[in-house]
Amino acid sequence: MCHKAEIFPETGYDERLSGGAATVFDATSHAFTNAVDGLSARDERVHEIGDQTFEQIFVAPPATVFPGLGPVFNNISCINCHRNDGGGLPTAGFSNSGLLMRISLSGTDEFGGPLAVPGFGGQIQDHAVLGAQPEANVRIVYTDVPISYADGTIVHLRKPEYSLVNPYIALPGSYLLSPRLAPPLIGMGLLEKIPERTVVSFIDAGDKNQDGISGKANFIHNPFTNATELGRFGLKANTPSLLVQIATAYQQDMGVTSYVQTKESADGQAQMSTVHGDAQPELVDSILNDVNFYVRTLAVPARRNISDANVQQGATVFSQINCSGCHRPNMQTGIDQTLPQVSNQRIHPYTDLLVHDMGDGLADNRPDYLANGREWRTQPLWGVGLLEKTTGTAYYLHDGRARTLEEAVLWHDGEAAKARQQFLQLSKGDRENLLSFLKSL
Amino acid sequence: MKKNRTVIIACLLSGTLFYACHKAETNPSGIDFPTLEQEVVNDFVSNVALPQYNNLTLAAGGLNAAIVTLNTTPTDVNLAAAQASWKTLRRTWEQCEGFLFGPVEDNDYDPNTDTWPTDYTQMDSLLASSNTLEPTDIQNLPQSLRGYHPIEYTIFGVGGSRTAASLTAREKKYMVSLASDVLNNNVQPLYDDWASAPVHYDNQVLTAGKGSTKFNTRQELYLAIVGAMTDISEEVGNGKMFEPFTAKDSTITESPYSGNTLSDFKDNIVGLQNVYLGLNGGKGIKDLVAAKNKSLDNQIQAQITSAISSFSNITLRYEQAIYDQRTQVQQTMTQLNTLRDLLDDELKNFITTYIKD
Repeated sequence: MCHKAEIFPETGYDERLSGGAATVFDATSHAFTNAVDGLSARDERVHEIGDQTFEQIFVAPPATVFPGLGPVFNNISCINCHRNDGGGLPTAGFSNSGLLMRISLSGTDEFGGPLAVPGFGGQIQDHAVLGAQPEANVRIVYTDVPISYADGTIVHLRKPEYSLVNPYIALPGSYLLSPRLAPPLIGMGLLEKIPERTVVSFIDAGDKNQDGISGKANFIHNPFTNATELGRFGLKANTPSLLVQIATAYQQDMGVTSYVQTKESADGQAQMSTVHGDAQPELVDSILNDVNFYVRTLAVPARRNISDANVQQGATVFSQINCSGCHRPNMQTGIDQTLPQVSNQRIHPYTDLLVHDMGDGLADNRPDYLANGREWRTQPLWGVGLLEKTTGTAYYLHDGRARTLEEAVLWHDGEAAKARQQFLQLSKGDRENLLSFLKSL
Repeated sequence: MKKNRTVIIACLLSGTLFYACHKAETNPSGIDFPTLEQEVVNDFVSNVALPQYNNLTLAAGGLNAAIVTLNTTPTDVNLAAAQASWKTLRRTWEQCEGFLFGPVEDNDYDPNTDTWPTDYTQMDSLLASSNTLEPTDIQNLPQSLRGYHPIEYTIFGVGGSRTAASLTAREKKYMVSLASDVLNNNVQPLYDDWASAPVHYDNQVLTAGKGSTKFNTRQELYLAIVGAMTDISEEVGNGKMFEPFTAKDSTITESPYSGNTLSDFKDNIVGLQNVYLGLNGGKGIKDLVAAKNKSLDNQIQAQITSAISSFSNITLRYEQAIYDQRTQVQQTMTQLNTLRDLLDDELKNFITTYIKD
């Protein structure tokens, strides 16, 4: 007599609701900045405090208001890199730069993670408070890479080369660098709730279905729980939770310590003596929790133009050439009784949270736990069509080398080589349809 | 009015391009609605955005000149003149925040000039350092050491205690370069981004839904304009006023050295009002709303007026009022929240209901 509740049929859902109940109808430049609907007054207040802290600039200690910056840092507020809660600009060293460099020696640390470089740690901070020096400056040089379609159309990609100049102390003879562009924040609370078994079920070790796509889950060390956990966040899926992601960004990008990341990014380095006088941890516990809640409760913008024939044809092409093999459209979040908006939601993130070999062109050749130097996590595509608005000028991929969605598609290789080959063979009309579909996300 | 609504629903049902469907009906003023939509856009550009940003360049030029004079002739009269110029510039800027979208956010002119609190510790280190403090150096400093508020700190001092004689050579160099950075690296480029190539943002707005690469539909543009109005009422009522009020902390107000904080708030809402009513004899969003829903227009106009006039009940500096006039501050915040809800619910709903192209 007891019937098990079943999931709605596909047709029972409104496909515009990319984030399920955590979707918002906003297509302006502030489309990524909305709270999920239906928060209680108290939760709205927590979200608001998190929002203000996210936009808050931090200053050098000692100071009465938001001290803790530095001694070395990449930027002075979260929002400076995550423009309008969206992506960053692929420059380094300016006040609006959103690109940073991870650095390591070859080999692994005691947990299997990247091996820190003495004097530099795991990330290059290219700004410093007065009296200290940036660890190094990042130089970016682009070269032109022409790509031809089957129909003869040529697209020019730009391939970046990264180098470090003006190090504050000598760099080691050899080191590994990996660029990371600040990603958009929407729907992170939903991604956090995708059951681990769902993510693991996407793995196709040995590529048994022979579609060229295998995928790998990155299991990493959580510095807060001191356990090995599934990596979900970060461009190589090297971070287990939003709490750790946010606390590590405060620590590494701004030099602000918290109860999760208790040590300064420059801990043990000579330049630590240039700042003093502030209490540790620099970020009040509740404020870190508020920012965590803020990010968890950022809504996903709804899709647009879904009844447009070109967009619908683009969606068909998207699955025909198997973009959806990694950019998975549908999944269900797990139960979270504290936050119904992200609990048990049918969502369309267009990611599998796995890392995939993306080929030589995108390789950073720097391993990060189980992700090797050619592997990157599948970037969620929800909201990707709004990046132009939220960022001002949109940049795509892990380091912002792609200036258009078309360029981003053309950089795909490795496990995506088949999909890319098929994209190159498409007619101009179908290529444009695919891009129209992406812009509707 | 009912009939017009049916026409719109018919367009929706047809599922085709909305502007293929003719809405021949006229509103009480005798102009058909899509024409009115475009006129309001035209007047927003030519009577509000462009002149206001042009005023901003003039005000920044005025501050720049006053600071240069103060540098060469550091008298208290010239200091007072620079302080007055600073307040004029702030008034114009805060009013421009009534339409905070486009180049001002895309190209970071807002955070480059209006970041607070100022970083005193870093500022002291900067003044004591060997940094040459040229405008090019200022351009590369963190935003907490650039813009209106470090200038404010330098020419007003803590509690407005600055005297011309107390300005050091390094402080003078810093303020001259800061004022130049505001004018030449931010305010002037902001105006240029709107008025001239290569950005020509005015054209992007004017051609919304007709070839603009920024706004595929006119509805998108209107939602951006109304969104900016909503955001500023939210920011003032729920952020800039609420935070120091609830924390009872006068150090986190916007312009604490000049005591200009309350004017900053009020001018933000005046900026919002300028967008709604239109300026210099041009049409505003009010004309659109009044054409379809006069009662909503009355309600919005009354609420804007009521919010603006409520500021005059706060007679102390805001830094003092958060302790001693809490009832009045609370009343203004309530007015602003009512305004925000009205804009976010009713006006936004009006836009999505009636602007379909």
